[in-house]
Amino acid sequence: MDLTKAFATFQRTVDADIDQVKLARERRDAFKRALKGEPGVLEVFGSGSLARSTQLKPVHDVDLIAVFDAAVHPEWGQVGDSSAEALEVVREMVKRLLGDNEGTVAELVRLAKPRDRAVKCFIDPPEQDDAFTVDVMPVLRQADNTLLVPSKRKRYWSTADPENLIAQVEERQQEWSHFRPTVRVLKQWRHGVPTKVKSLVMEVLALKCLPTDKTRPLALRAFFTAAAVEVNYGVVDPARHCGAIQPDLDTEVLRTALESARDIAEKACAAAADGDSDGAALLWRELFGDDFPAPEEKSSGTAVGPFLYVPRPVVDAPQG
Amino acid sequence: MSDLLVLVSGEAARRMKEGGQWGQITFRVSDPDNVGAVIAVSDGSNPVMPTPLHSTNHFLNAGHARGQHRWYRAAPELHLLWWHARNTGREVALEVFKEKVAGRWLSPSAGRNYVALTVATEAPAEYPDISIPEMVAWYVTPDAACPVAIDVVSAEHGFPQLAGHWPTTHLAESSIMLVGAGSIGGAAAHALASYGVGRLVLIDPDRLLSHNVVRHVSSAKHVGRLKVDAVKQELAEAWPATRVDTLPVDAIAAAHLIRPRLRHVDVVLCTADGVAARRVISHLARRARTDAVLACALQDGAIGEIIRLRPWSDHGCLTCHREALTARGAMDPEPALDLGYGTGTTHRPMTAVGGDLHLVAQVAAKTAVATVLERRGHPDQKLPGEHAILGLRPALGWAPPFDLNRSGDIRWLPHSPPHPGCPTCEEP
Repeated sequence: MDLTKAFATFQRTVDADIDQVKLARERRDAFKRALKGEPGVLEVFGSGSLARSTQLKPVHDVDLIAVFDAAVHPEWGQVGDSSAEALEVVREMVKRLLGDNEGTVAELVRLAKPRDRAVKCFIDPPEQDDAFTVDVMPVLRQADNTLLVPSKRKRYWSTADPENLIAQVEERQQEWSHFRPTVRVLKQWRHGVPTKVKSLVMEVLALKCLPTDKTRPLALRAFFTAAAVEVNYGVVDPARHCGAIQPDLDTEVLRTALESARDIAEKACAAAADGDSDGAALLWRELFGDDFPAPEEKSSGTAVGPFLYVPRPVVDAPQG
Repeated sequence: MSDLLVLVSGEAARRMKEGGQWGQITFRVSDPDNVGAVIAVSDGSNPVMPTPLHSTNHFLNAGHARGQHRWYRAAPELHLLWWHARNTGREVALEVFKEKVAGRWLSPSAGRNYVALTVATEAPAEYPDISIPEMVAWYVTPDAACPVAIDVVSAEHGFPQLAGHWPTTHLAESSIMLVGAGSIGGAAAHALASYGVGRLVLIDPDRLLSHNVVRHVSSAKHVGRLKVDAVKQELAEAWPATRVDTLPVDAIAAAHLIRPRLRHVDVVLCTADGVAARRVISHLARRARTDAVLACALQDGAIGEIIRLRPWSDHGCLTCHREALTARGAMDPEPALDLGYGTGTTHRPMTAVGGDLHLVAQVAAKTAVATVLERRGHPDQKLPGEHAILGLRPALGWAPPFDLNRSGDIRWLPHSPPHPGCPTCEEP
């Protein structure tokens, strides 16, 4: 079996449907067009996994950031009710511009509800599976280019830098064309971990632990090895503003899962190095599940069975 | 006497490769060692220009200078003849040699033999199946040219040689603090540098005294110097790729100087004497979220011990680890710890032999390097546990896990969990 082809086939099962991504981007762009024309709105840009192209399927939400002019809203950024007020301004704006009943730019949004940090805009009917939403977060830009983001619940604004993460992912992608696809694979892998792991945890671990100068199998082996250690030191906002990404993460459970993955990846790479690509494929399938292609049956009709790792003899070529 | 060897620095080799057809060479030689090194080269009849030796403290710097030697541009097949003659113990007839070289010929005469270097940059590509060098050496006599051993110092020598076989880049980027530059620490410093660690921070307030020399990697010529300075100088000579910073302070008294530095190293390796200094490093490393490796000898050098302390939520500090061993009846706590402030002794004087301590240092350095590399994604650097016990001179009757009964035995044990209420392990 050609492992490169097998990884490519597996990747297609992980990646979001192209039409779904296109639809998500069209809806995002409709929001951007509408909000950008509003007085007091300086910039509108995407954040979240869609902006970083690390989204998993199904794509059912899009994150947008609307940068407001602090001169127009001088009270924003202060402790108190200004967080809720900013969210209300966005809700009213979305309803007026994009409401499904007489929106002035497009008739798209059936419901806009302020949550803690953003206004969640519902587009698809509630009975639809994976109903699509757009989250719009009002922010202020600070002198150092970071953002002030509101929290209605905590009644204060905190510093964040989502553009930093977007830029870091972009940089890695420039270094290695498999970076974003492999992040999607890792996000998919986390669904098999017996504890809740936020997708952003995997993405930040990938930034730290996924090398960009290797083949996919070797990079995955290095990732699982490094991440099984790194996760114990805490997975924090790479821009160092927001602290732990998932404070309730069960580190020990995730570490154990990463260690198991590391051991399988190590065996898979050893099998491939010995020329046993079928054995390697079976091991990657054990790691990533049945979506990873199984080796084809041999012409002799031998059924594909569980991979048996055969120890290799040591070559007697002494070096002193 | 051993065979003649010709040394060529990278700069000298470059000048000859980029030069014309021939030139003059001056060597600096040591007759007892039968070695000569190129120290000056000309391009044709242009002036002979110096080409320094590759090491400023090389022994040939004190040798005699001898001129009137040659280098020639040569046909690649001459280098094939050199290779064949070297492997079969033969010579090349002078006429054949002369035919294959270009430039102004210098005839050897009785009593005026000379060394010639020949340059054929196409030779390696011409004979790809065998390692034919682009520069070779000859001893030219009136009858024949005898092939001579040559060592060309390349910019690729040193750690670049290991690229592809060893993660040289990851280690060159790494930084390790070494607390204690004594018998274990000094040897550990050399071991860490030999792995390619890019930066070492050496911390020890002590001077090398005459009674230390029997165990220390530094020789008697350094007696009286600070141990960190002696080790730094030796590392500069042996492992110039490793940058060494020194801090001649006591780890306990100068914890405030160590604390900020711990945040900028990958691992701290503590080889300090006594319980107190090790506890201080354990505590500071935990707070800095830096991995620590502690190495020592126990029972008057009968047992070597290496403990890796990782600042993970389910891994305990040194005190937690020792308490677990004490609770199992495996270890007596240091009696001086229970004495009043300012009383008692801080540690036992070292009684082990240097070779055993250096063995502990090697395992400790390997532990520190493996810790760095596993975090950088190298699965072949996983360790079997967090606590290694090494049989140096084991005796019967010690409680498990110290019940080793063979010298050279290494037993790896798991970590101990944090004790509830531990002031080091619990967040402040």
